[in-house]
Amino acid sequence: MTLFDIAFSGNDTVYGLTEGAIDAAIAQYGADKAIAFPDTAYSLPCYYGVTGTKVGNLGELKEALGVVKTLMTREKRLNDVFMSGVATALCAEFLEVLKYIDGATPYEAPCYGHLGDATIRELGVPLVTGDIPGVAVILGAAPSAEEGVALVKSYQAQGILVTLVGGIIDQCEELGYKTGANVRVIPLGKDVTSVIHVVSVAVRAALIFGNIKGGDAAGLMEYTFKRVPAFVNAFSPLDPVIVACGAGAIALGFPVITNETSFPNISVPKSLIVQPDVSKFNATSLEARDIKIKITNIDIPVAFASAFEGEIIRRGDMQVEFDGSRVDCFELVTTKDVTEVEDHKIELIGPDIDEFEVGSKHSIAYVVEVAGKSMQSDFEPVFERKFHSYLNCVEGMMHTGQRDMIRIRISKDTFNAGFRAKHIGEVLYAKVKSEFAAVVDKCQVKIYTDAEQCTKLRHELAIPSFDKRDERLNTLTDEGVDVYYSCIMCQAFSPSHVCVVTPERLGLCGAVSWLDAKATNELDPQGPCQVITKEKVIDERIGEYEDVNEAVRKFSQGALEDVSLYSIIEKPMTSCGCFECICGIEPLSNGVCIANREYAGMTPIGMTFPELASMTGGGVQTPGFMGHGKHFIASKKFMKAEGGVARIVWMPKDLKEQVAERLNATAKEMYDIDNFTDMIGDETVAEDPETLLAFLEEKGHPALSMEPMM
Amino acid sequence: MGDFKLTTVEEFEAATERLLETGKKVGADAWQYRVKNQTPHCKFGEQGICCRICSMGPCRITPKAPRGICGCDVHGIVARNYLKFTAGGAATHSDHGREICHTLYCTDPNGAYKVKDPEKLIRIAKEWGVETEGKDIYDLAHEMALKALEEYGKPFGNQNFIKRTPQHTQDLWKAQEVAPRAIDREVSSSLHMTHMGCSSKPEALIRQSLRVGLADGWGGSMAGTEFSDVLFGTPKPIDTEANLGVMNAENVNIVVHGHDPSLSEMVCEYADDPEMIAYAKEMGAKGITVSGVCCTSNEVAMRRGIPMAGNFLQQENVVLTGACEAIVVDVQCIFPALGPLSKCFHTKFITTSPIAQMPDSEFIQFSPENADENAKAIVKLAIENFKNRKPELVHIPDMKQKATVGYSLEAIVKVLDGVTNSQVDTLGTTKPLIECITSGVLRGAVAMVGCNNPKVRPDTAHIELMKKLIANDIIVVASGCSAQAAAKAGLMDKRAKDLCGAGLKRVCELADIPPVLHMGSCVDISRMMNLVAELAKDSGLNISQLPVVGCAPEWMSEKAVSIGNYVVATGIDTFLGVDPYVSGSSEVAELLTGGIRDWVEAAYTVETDIEKLVDKMIDRIEEKRAAIGI
Repeated sequence: MTLFDIAFSGNDTVYGLTEGAIDAAIAQYGADKAIAFPDTAYSLPCYYGVTGTKVGNLGELKEALGVVKTLMTREKRLNDVFMSGVATALCAEFLEVLKYIDGATPYEAPCYGHLGDATIRELGVPLVTGDIPGVAVILGAAPSAEEGVALVKSYQAQGILVTLVGGIIDQCEELGYKTGANVRVIPLGKDVTSVIHVVSVAVRAALIFGNIKGGDAAGLMEYTFKRVPAFVNAFSPLDPVIVACGAGAIALGFPVITNETSFPNISVPKSLIVQPDVSKFNATSLEARDIKIKITNIDIPVAFASAFEGEIIRRGDMQVEFDGSRVDCFELVTTKDVTEVEDHKIELIGPDIDEFEVGSKHSIAYVVEVAGKSMQSDFEPVFERKFHSYLNCVEGMMHTGQRDMIRIRISKDTFNAGFRAKHIGEVLYAKVKSEFAAVVDKCQVKIYTDAEQCTKLRHELAIPSFDKRDERLNTLTDEGVDVYYSCIMCQAFSPSHVCVVTPERLGLCGAVSWLDAKATNELDPQGPCQVITKEKVIDERIGEYEDVNEAVRKFSQGALEDVSLYSIIEKPMTSCGCFECICGIEPLSNGVCIANREYAGMTPIGMTFPELASMTGGGVQTPGFMGHGKHFIASKKFMKAEGGVARIVWMPKDLKEQVAERLNATAKEMYDIDNFTDMIGDETVAEDPETLLAFLEEKGHPALSMEPMM
Repeated sequence: MGDFKLTTVEEFEAATERLLETGKKVGADAWQYRVKNQTPHCKFGEQGICCRICSMGPCRITPKAPRGICGCDVHGIVARNYLKFTAGGAATHSDHGREICHTLYCTDPNGAYKVKDPEKLIRIAKEWGVETEGKDIYDLAHEMALKALEEYGKPFGNQNFIKRTPQHTQDLWKAQEVAPRAIDREVSSSLHMTHMGCSSKPEALIRQSLRVGLADGWGGSMAGTEFSDVLFGTPKPIDTEANLGVMNAENVNIVVHGHDPSLSEMVCEYADDPEMIAYAKEMGAKGITVSGVCCTSNEVAMRRGIPMAGNFLQQENVVLTGACEAIVVDVQCIFPALGPLSKCFHTKFITTSPIAQMPDSEFIQFSPENADENAKAIVKLAIENFKNRKPELVHIPDMKQKATVGYSLEAIVKVLDGVTNSQVDTLGTTKPLIECITSGVLRGAVAMVGCNNPKVRPDTAHIELMKKLIANDIIVVASGCSAQAAAKAGLMDKRAKDLCGAGLKRVCELADIPPVLHMGSCVDISRMMNLVAELAKDSGLNISQLPVVGCAPEWMSEKAVSIGNYVVATGIDTFLGVDPYVSGSSEVAELLTGGIRDWVEAAYTVETDIEKLVDKMIDRIEEKRAAIGI
């Protein structure tokens, strides 16, 4: 049998199974029975991506299967094999959706099954920044559990997102290897069909970030081929079904690496690679998918990788804790004169970790002193805000909060591996020096574990610095600066999207403030953040400038014409897809509802976050909808053209609490309203427009008396 | 895909029509008119059944007169004519190769010709068992030149280059007595055999046709290619443009035409000289544009990115633009018509080789010794001619396509290295290509070669065949005027990947290549021979088992028949779109399309219906796949 014959036969097998399963389901539930995957606006995502048709019930699923059959042509050409691979994937999606009938939860820990849209939007930023340099799909059981886990661990240590299907999941469990989205090792499911859940992520990435329209199968495949750095590791034995799935993966541009050696003539350069030695899967795969791992050599006794960023250390696993909410702690970057800094000097003032009792709580403060000719004090908070991510990347270390509200836990395993206080300094030194090389010539770190020193420095050094910065931030307004910055970091995924970052309007991902953009520009003047002048005003009300438009045209390669900075109705700014929040018009109350990525419920607009999010994104302007960062909500420039924050009528409770303090201050200043957030509805008040309106009327919400938005 | 679109043959023809209008104004002749005057062609000639090798005749074979005066039957006459035709081609290519060897002999670190690829020279020297250690590269060049020249007349033994073929091929050639001996000997023996009163047995004559063909392909042509690389550099991927639109109305246009790169390389060198550019500006032009026609064009495009103005049947068009200051020619495929045509315009028609001397031309004899001064003189002549241009006659069709060219075997292997995985593969082999083929991602490869011929709507066959082949995941390597047809159409633009089947498209994307690879001029079909030899050795298959075929759909010259013979004799089925004057003999036709398969494991297919021709090639490729179970 040739490779093509094997793939065709695998496709036929899966098709037969799917047909049987759908017929059985129809017999059991009737053709009108609704089917859907949870938390997605694109159900069924893969089928929708390929055909542009949404499937809502079993009858439609049966029709869809007829469409799938038309893909299963049998000419001896790669196109036929690719399409049969796609057909196999779609069949897998159909089989999987059947598991979710009646709101069932077919997957139990550790398996995840279907992944919601919000997960994909969260992945956007780390994928573009290279924090997640690739996505591995491991399928089947390794020759031994040890080899399987070693492979998983090798990817994890490189920050690669690992998804697991089949026997490898049992192998991880067998050796007690920690899995979960927070450590970027996601077991999908034990059936081979569950592989569709990661394919579905790739397909939705194209729909969300790439502005690929459902039904544009060629565009979809080009997007995944060029922009989704995924690959497959399929363990021997391969059967025809796996080969057919593999054909689908290769069609999407994902190379398959296998240790199956019993099929002759199946090797295809850069696409299907036979690697008998499982210990070389990692290197083979990265080379096949052209994934480059940024290596920062950090002299610490445990792994350092972005995969560990979400790792949680439970109390029982904890060696020691530093907690800024109970004792004096802080982290700080300060600029010093070149003569005052000795490069790579790491100083510990106070006892080391091994002098603390297991499970005890202490003070900590670390001051990173930097010097450089191009260093500006404006960059201090930019570096400092990255500490959270740097320290979290240490295996067995958890960091939350910032400034003087930090909390750090170090696990017993990490302590036992030899991790000590000075290693915190090593991490900060190495990362600051490598990421900000253009402005930091010298860097030294002082770590204080002496409680008295911590208290003293917190009040004498840290708090005054933070206050000074806040003051500077408060005076930092759109009017007060001469230039804005573009940010096109996301263009790797969303080729026509451009953010215009201003002091009062940070990037919609929430990750790039004006100061961040400024620092990024300083580090790499030809990089993703470039200076945009704002000299030629067109319309001050909506914030439209000729120079800004010119820049947007240039950076979007002509895809975008004009944008306004302060309106969601007129020429709103585009979204890439990885926005923290989305706001959309709620016509009945003459205002907007905002939903954040974490919110899973319904909004009064009648759409969930994934559904709202699917209205925009992909670098396209959608008047009435706009993606934005959380921080922007309290800005005086938020919807300035439409009257400002007074238009906000609804937000999820959690989000409201997060922004309340700043938003209330803004409302007080702009409209002299006290406790404005109390007037804003949330899911505990209303999930439909009528109830919301009644609530707003009762509270006397200002939006009701404002000019009609449309 | 953006704004990328192929240029159609209809658009080519419309542009030509417009140029012929200009021609009419000045009373110019053109091949389009001469074809009409020559049609219908002589039936005896077409069938190959006219014999005029002695003065008893000419004899023509008819049902009433089945034998010539000497008693030779139709099969003997057709086979003899076929061998003579082949010998003419083999002599031509090989003499070109000989010129290159002479040029190599004249290399000098301070002279006009230098060794640009010493590594390749050392590689060939080692292959030939010549000591290279501690030798000055120029001493080695001279030694190798002599050695190469000996290949033309060596009294014993076979061509050195045949050791590049798999052992199976060498054994087969030996057993079938077609292994090529000295090049000149094979040509002479052919002419001896076809003398009055020598061979009249079709088997013997056709066997010698294969042998003299092999002396060309694995002898003279290969020397031409390999030592041209040593002299001027081994081609690597380079971007250029193709079609008449590459000529620039504001510049001095110099068009090089012919086959031998020794001349054109020098012309390009001087056209780039700041002094010459300044002189051109002084004369009222904005600069100097060198473009090419025919295989000289292929040579300089592959090595320098010099744009290609057109292929064989476009040679008159470059003059008809009214913007050609000089058309400088060396050898082969040059229409004598260019002489009278140039007189209708200001164009200087400059012949340079004692081999190709023509009326109405300025003859500036070119030799390695005077190359630089004569090249300079030619460029100067063209510049000074700019002022004689008649502006009212100037019309350059606004038509050109981008092309990435320069895929020598070395460059192809390098491209293939780029898709290997260092964890499982070794570098420097054709294995990635073999894997694409054995897995079925690519169905096979077709070598598209040859000329234009008014008997086929020019370029149509080349372009249509290639379009269908690439749509069927069959990669195309092209050379000569076929390659230029592809480039003019846009098939050598990397964006043409979107016209391919999914398999070839993916290969083009991963390897970053166009779907039709430009392998050079017509002598460079030797590159294709080296490629199939490597594929066979790397895969462990015989050459004849590879799903690879050759095709010359619009061929016209003796050289093309010689090529056909060595391609077939190397084990590659070859498909022709024009009959090689053998239809008069059922025996010869049967031999060429069937019988020789028993000798060399491959044969010809002649099919003048282009649609059927491509289907036959695809079927043959699939048959070959099935036979080896892939």
